[in-house]
Amino acid sequence: MLPVFRKELQILFKEKGTFFWLIILPVAFIVLYASVFGSASNSNITIHYIDQDNTAVSKQFVQTLSNVKGFETAVDTSTTRDDQIEKIRNGKLSSLVIIPKGFGDNLKSGDKANIEFYRTSVTDQTVESAKALLDNIINSYREGKIKSTLAFSGKSDVQIQQIMASPVVLKEVNEDVKNVTVAEQLVPGMMVMFVFFVIISMIRGFIKERESGMLARLRSTPMKPGDYLAGMWSSFILTVIIQCTALLGFGHYVYKLDLGNLPAIIAIVISLAICATGIGLAISFLVKSENQGIALTQIVVMGGAALGGLWIPFDILPSFAQKIGYLMPQYWAQKGLQDVMVRGADISVIVPNIAVLLLFGIAGVFIALLRFKRYILSAAS
Amino acid sequence: MNKAIDIKNLVKRYDSKTALDDVSFSVSSGSCFGLLGPNGAGKSTAMKILTGIIEYDSGSVDVLGFDLKSQKDDIRTLVGYVPQEITLYEKLSAYNNLRFFGELYGIKGRELKKRIDDVLEQVGLTDHANSLINTFSGGMKRRINIAAALLHKPRLLILDEPTVGIDPQSRNHIFGMIRALKKDGITVIYSTHYMEEVESLCDEIAIIDHGRVIAKGDLNKILDKHAVNAVYVESEQMSKIPVFEYSGKVSKKDRGWVIETSNILGTIQDITKKAMELNMAVKELEIVRPNLETVFLSLTGTSLRD
Repeated sequence: MLPVFRKELQILFKEKGTFFWLIILPVAFIVLYASVFGSASNSNITIHYIDQDNTAVSKQFVQTLSNVKGFETAVDTSTTRDDQIEKIRNGKLSSLVIIPKGFGDNLKSGDKANIEFYRTSVTDQTVESAKALLDNIINSYREGKIKSTLAFSGKSDVQIQQIMASPVVLKEVNEDVKNVTVAEQLVPGMMVMFVFFVIISMIRGFIKERESGMLARLRSTPMKPGDYLAGMWSSFILTVIIQCTALLGFGHYVYKLDLGNLPAIIAIVISLAICATGIGLAISFLVKSENQGIALTQIVVMGGAALGGLWIPFDILPSFAQKIGYLMPQYWAQKGLQDVMVRGADISVIVPNIAVLLLFGIAGVFIALLRFKRYILSAAS
Repeated sequence: MNKAIDIKNLVKRYDSKTALDDVSFSVSSGSCFGLLGPNGAGKSTAMKILTGIIEYDSGSVDVLGFDLKSQKDDIRTLVGYVPQEITLYEKLSAYNNLRFFGELYGIKGRELKKRIDDVLEQVGLTDHANSLINTFSGGMKRRINIAAALLHKPRLLILDEPTVGIDPQSRNHIFGMIRALKKDGITVIYSTHYMEEVESLCDEIAIIDHGRVIAKGDLNKILDKHAVNAVYVESEQMSKIPVFEYSGKVSKKDRGWVIETSNILGTIQDITKKAMELNMAVKELEIVRPNLETVFLSLTGTSLRD
């Protein structure tokens, strides 16, 4: 077993494709996504407006918009009202708030004061947020009007406060142990996704050995077929462990990724390695050609990533997709890693995740063993 | 002389196709045995059976005193197999490739290092030990391919077409190596479709065609038994099949004619006489030396490389 293990590792480390698929590409994705989403958390939603009223009241209204955290206002004095509305029609602007002339006077006199809100019909998170903010501010004007009426009718401040108090209070409690960083979202997801690309290296390795005649030659030596399989498999397991260590180390040192309970992380990485390479063995002995194997691997990698919650949060997947997602090893690996990194779980909490991953690996090895004899006998042809 | 290999009534079928049909031959210990035949004749199948790579359907095979069916593991430690393909890891050095094969035979540590040094010297590539295989020429790769089968000091070396597509220098080196191995008492089985290689290296042969042995035994005896007497003549004016008093079958070869005859001198005399009478310019006139090419031709009616 040892000669095969050492030989395969030497070949894998000399193969540039191995580094590209298993280390370089996931690191590139982590850097790219971290730079996009890292800066996104600091950006504000811009509300474009035209103040046709231009009074102290309208200016106060704009100021109120600007004061809300996460929003900023912008005015374009170089183009006309119609031009800006045309921009919305063309999709160049998502929304526009217009404060019409007479807004201040109407508000002071108690008449209805209008605010015009132009928007695209396409559902957009920024437009919906701007709309919600406007509704909120308009509500605060209404509350102010009610308070003034109550005060005018002789109610005391305490009485007004009691009347205005909402019967339902929202109490927000954050159950996470700590705030989740971009790295804690990204690194485990990318790592779990790219771990399964080891299957391509496995397929190439096994098919090349058969087609080059090496497998036939090895059969003429005293080496047992079981030693060959164990040697090849263990070299791929070690490759995945090295890959995970490199990616987690990168996340830890570059993005200050908190790994949490280290024994628990090691347990998940080892069981993930057994899982991915076990599935890899099964695919390697099931497929007839390299192209067939690569196609099947893409389904495993991409399908598992999409349904396992690696690309979008698992909670917002449709319920039927979630049900399928529970059958994906990627889901159990990602959840286990985030339980440890974000929720401070130790090894006892993630036992089910480890068990599921190992089950996938064992099932893969079982299928591989059923097909292994056929693979060995194919050496003769 | 002891038998290194004794094959009796060997049959191997692939679905409906019979690859080896009732094959029987034996190989004397310490000899170089040539297994001859055109592509697809069954040579590689026979070799893969002898090395335990594939199973056979019926018959008996005895290798170095062990029964192939029940004592395969014993045989594998004593046999070195060089397949037709270059089975080396291109991205590893020659040394690392040899270390891998040596370890498969359980050789370790200093002993392994010494054996690697020895085989590299045998194949004349000591200076290239640390070069990657993908930097080697075809001939150098073939030599390392053979070296990998010598690490465990086999008593029987099986070479399946080891000189395909190589330069004359590497070919000569391989020939020299085989002669040296033979001198050391190692039995060599050499498969090829190059008749001249067998004539140069082997003492005994078996000719296989369509899965059947059509001739076997001592090389010289086979030549005496099956080779026919013939004369080769080449002349631009001789466009039709020439007929002479003693001539038998006449066949076209290159730009001339091979005339089988029961009386070589009589036929040469007839050709000379006719050429002088007709004032023909004869470019070549020679006795065809009995060789395996003509033996194969006379046994099967086809050329070996057809």
